[in-house]
Amino acid sequence: MIKFHQVSKIYPGQTTALKDIDLAIDSGEFVSIVGQSGTGKTTIIKLIIAEERPTSGQIIVGGWDITDIRNKEIPFLRRQIGVIFQDFKLLPKKTVFENVAFALQTCAVPNTKINQIVPQVIKIVGLEGKEGRYPNQLSGGEQQRVVIARSLAHKPKLVVADEPTGNLDSLNSREIIDLLKKINELGTTVILVTHDREVVNSLRKRVITIDDGQIIADQARGRYIL
Amino acid sequence: MRFLELSRILKFAGQSFMRNVWLSIVTITIITLTLLSISFLLVFNIITQHTLKAVEAKTSVYVDLTDQASPDQANILVDELKKIPTINKAEYITPEQTLNDFKERHKTDQVIMDSLNSLEKNPFRGSILVGVNNISDFPSILQELSKKEYADYLEIEDQEFKDAQFLISGISDYSQKIQKGGIIISLVFIFMAIMVVFNTIQVGIYTHREEIGIMRLVGASNNFIRSPFLFEGVIYSVAAILIMIAVVYPCSIFIQPYLDGFLKEYSLNLMSAINQNWLTIFGWPFITAVFINVASSFLAVRRYIKV
Repeated sequence: MIKFHQVSKIYPGQTTALKDIDLAIDSGEFVSIVGQSGTGKTTIIKLIIAEERPTSGQIIVGGWDITDIRNKEIPFLRRQIGVIFQDFKLLPKKTVFENVAFALQTCAVPNTKINQIVPQVIKIVGLEGKEGRYPNQLSGGEQQRVVIARSLAHKPKLVVADEPTGNLDSLNSREIIDLLKKINELGTTVILVTHDREVVNSLRKRVITIDDGQIIADQARGRYIL
Repeated sequence: MRFLELSRILKFAGQSFMRNVWLSIVTITIITLTLLSISFLLVFNIITQHTLKAVEAKTSVYVDLTDQASPDQANILVDELKKIPTINKAEYITPEQTLNDFKERHKTDQVIMDSLNSLEKNPFRGSILVGVNNISDFPSILQELSKKEYADYLEIEDQEFKDAQFLISGISDYSQKIQKGGIIISLVFIFMAIMVVFNTIQVGIYTHREEIGIMRLVGASNNFIRSPFLFEGVIYSVAAILIMIAVVYPCSIFIQPYLDGFLKEYSLNLMSAINQNWLTIFGWPFITAVFINVASSFLAVRRYIKV
């Protein structure tokens, strides 16, 4: 599903975020990428969604070499990846339904199809009955569920979540992680970037540990070791 | 682009226009002022071109005949002059006609009339009225008429030719100066319009930055992100051109009596002149407005969103 071959990323000012990373994630896996702040976890996500280009090395996503992806090809890549961020990125003046539908509207999906897909994904995340609410009328956990629903709207084969529980209490965090597990069980590859020890230890899934831009551990049923 | 995509782009453009309605009004005002300055320049150009042509067409000089020239010789001379391609009119004016015209012009001046009546014979000689196709041909005609074979019959006074040329070049110089001023004003307005539109779009992008970020995140194409801003620019252009049309026609009705009073027999019907030059007066400003808007939008989008 995803392959990083000798990938390095150096930001302007000679800040090295990643050094010669080799990584392979198979289809259907649930992988946690852990590490302390500033170790390069988010850079991996940015490289996967082509928000950043590697300084050197090769990146393949779903069999597609995106190392030198052209700008006009990026939208097509992103439609195949669901992205979840810590800060939700919801439109405050749109309802739950409209926020989820927005992802499809911008990609020329017909209204009839939007009206089919949106209720389905809202049901998956457990927000039935709250379609007409605005983000400020929802709890943090519910807002993150809307983001997950939006990320599922394109029926992606890969979901990447960058600190999705960072702004949530432990109960809501638990619910979001359970939701990601459920999505993974339905066949979607999930990459979870986090520094939440409890979450990682409870998952008992593959854990890749990053420190100072390098992979220092890659365990099939790992734990948070830092 | 599919209809669905287009309709959504138009919807987003309309939403952006309405959400920043005051900013939109300011932008449209500046663009309208720019277009008005351009269109007034074009209308002024039409008026001056018309006036110059009318003055040129009506400009003719009288070449006096000598005492030796009989009416028959004068008619032969007229026939000869008509053969010169640059001369469009040559007409023999008899001494009697000249006297009658003079009396008509000075009929209210008793001193002149008394002096004229005290003379025993007609003091005027015959003349030939010469009209030309182009005022710049006067020097060559003057040279032609100064030939030896005409010397016994024609009294050439080049001052009259120079006066006519002076009149035409005076009008031409003034119109050129006014046009230059108009071009400078238009350029200033165009520059202001570019700055205002550019900043409006930037503010629009700033207010939409979250939406743009999410659009990029969920895989909206670059064109889909950019197009609403470009269409918003087209909305500004259309609104400005409609206001301009609504202003120009009443203005032409208002100006008409002043124009008639100023240009007298050289005047023109402004409304019909505008109608005849509709594409020039409204088409070019519209293209300019669309260009300003689309270019500004494109640059602002390019600068503010990494697409």
